[in-house]
Amino acid sequence: MKIVVGIKQVPETDSVKIDPKTNNLERSGIQGIINPFDKNAIEAALQLRDQAGGEVVLLSMGPDSYTSSLRDGMAMGADKAVLVSSRAFGGADTLATGYTLAKAVESIGDVDLVLFGRQSVDADTGQVGPIVAEFLSVPQVTFAETVSLESENTIIAKRQLDSAVQDIKLTLPAVITVRKELNNPRYETPVNMKESFEKPITVWTEADLNLDPSQIGQAGSPTSVTNVYAPTKEVKKTTILPEDPVQAVSELLGKLD
Amino acid sequence: MDNNEIWVYVETTGSKIEPTSLQLITKAKAIADGRKVVAVVPETSSINAETTVKEYGPDQIKTLVDDHFAHATDEEIADALFQVTDKNRPDSLLFPATILGRSIAPRLQAKLGTGLTGDCLDIYYQDGLLVQVKPTYGDNVMCDIVCPDRRPQMVTVRPNTFRAEKGTGGATEIVQSKFTFHKEANSEVVATDPIINSSSKLDDAKVVIALGRGAYSDKNIKLAQDLAAKLGGMVGVSRPLTDEPEFSHDDQIGIGGASLSADLLINLGISGAVQYTVGIKNAKKIVSVNIDKDAPIFDESDFAYVGDVTDFLNALLKQVR
Ligand SMILES: Cc1cc2nc3c(=O)[nH]c(=O)nc-3n(C[C@H](O)[C@H](O)[C@H](O)COP(=O)(O)OP(=O)(O)OC[C@H]3O[C@@H](n4cnc5c(N)ncnc54)[C@H](O)[C@@H]3O)c2cc1C
Repeated sequence: MKIVVGIKQVPETDSVKIDPKTNNLERSGIQGIINPFDKNAIEAALQLRDQAGGEVVLLSMGPDSYTSSLRDGMAMGADKAVLVSSRAFGGADTLATGYTLAKAVESIGDVDLVLFGRQSVDADTGQVGPIVAEFLSVPQVTFAETVSLESENTIIAKRQLDSAVQDIKLTLPAVITVRKELNNPRYETPVNMKESFEKPITVWTEADLNLDPSQIGQAGSPTSVTNVYAPTKEVKKTTILPEDPVQAVSELLGKLD
Repeated sequence: MDNNEIWVYVETTGSKIEPTSLQLITKAKAIADGRKVVAVVPETSSINAETTVKEYGPDQIKTLVDDHFAHATDEEIADALFQVTDKNRPDSLLFPATILGRSIAPRLQAKLGTGLTGDCLDIYYQDGLLVQVKPTYGDNVMCDIVCPDRRPQMVTVRPNTFRAEKGTGGATEIVQSKFTFHKEANSEVVATDPIINSSSKLDDAKVVIALGRGAYSDKNIKLAQDLAAKLGGMVGVSRPLTDEPEFSHDDQIGIGGASLSADLLINLGISGAVQYTVGIKNAKKIVSVNIDKDAPIFDESDFAYVGDVTDFLNALLKQVR
């Protein structure tokens, strides 16, 4: 089975803030890490590979620095990686990103399954997986909480909606986005870390993919960001309750009714 | 061809109508400014969701009726919606940011080749464009996003961001849309198990007792559960507690979890990080307990108790009948 896992490098978001005066993002000095949810996708891919044989290929779109996340993913056990990287892809929104990744999956060739984390912690909200599925014209299961191989080319995945749990049967090729609850990602081992530096990272530009140039980068992005700012906070009028818990509770209950 | 309409996707599962879709109809009417508000309702022949949807006063309801919708896949729903949206493209198309909405909207987006902003916290028109307000970086940062040239302008909106109000005024026209349900050969919903307790979802609970890192102990969990039972409410948690064995992601409040609409929320040992407080903005009365008098959670609270969680819970359990 040939499994592609789409991964994204994200800043450690706890430390991203807006400068309240300039409204600029303060990102300097922040380390990029693999989007935590993507590790669940890598783990799922490794388990399926261990079961069915085949290979796990990591795929990402972004600058050269993204190789560090691809190495981390290979240190978990993925076999190789593809980085789609060029100025021409800059400014891509989710549609242009999904289109480009779908084209990269086609170029990797003979892919049975494409996995994604449920969403990235920094920006998008799980849109890229379904967009890639649509561009590849393959079925999808999103937010999967279990993924099991049913036969050589069918998978059954469980997904919880607000009022029901669905079992969805997919005939491969397909796209699955996975929830954090699916598994516990394995740790990188020293041996795997060492080996990850011997595994190949292929870098592709627009020239290596069979693309429509009007669908990539800024030109291929219907949306644009017009304003970035810190969230405003309304401060409420707060009643401070007395220190003694018994008094505090009786005052509270008196005022709540 | 484009028209001057705002369409709202009405999600139906079984006989249930997703409340967020109704919230979006109310919001669409509030910002419409002369645009026509249209509710798009894929449903089976037995649901008749239009009877309920009508009460919220859209100008028009378009039903897509086919019994296959009882077990439809994302591909099939997106295909059906594409058939009705492509030829006569609305100005804007709003989806609830539910699991289903987040799964179908991007597929439809790719078919239509237009823009989609996920998980919006606000939408409004400015200079004829739909401004889509979306948090990023765990809500430390807000962005305004527009889709200037392509139509429809698509968004998914977080549940309970707006309140649904039954409509008054003009009559609602109900039309049955023509489309063909295309069965997708390579995917199939083979089983659907209703979640029995879905009515007591955190988002819709009337009373929520929320536990944070400062309240994590067996004793406090037990006390909170007892209190929730007494008040007919539910226990929710901040994110750190979802890593503990007693809780899961389903219990999480905040940007990555539930958006509450509770009448009463009691925060216990929660500091009040923005990623948490986005989820509690629409709670009506907020009581917070924290040993740190400067905890940011107090800024969001109607009542503040500076002190220990266990002491407070013990006192509260004794006095609540
Ligand atoms: C991308 C991203 C997404 C996130 N999404 C979410 C989300 O959806 N939901 C969420 O909750 N968080 C989320 N977070 C995490 C969030 O930033 C905070 O880290 C988290 O909310 C803190 O949880 P807490 O308040 O329980 O813990 P802490 O911040 O550790 O606060 C514990 C509080 O308990 C108080 N305390 C300690 N002991 C006692 C006692 N005995 N009695 C009373 N008070 C006591 C302390 O004074 C302190 O204020 C997200 C973060 C990121 C980066």
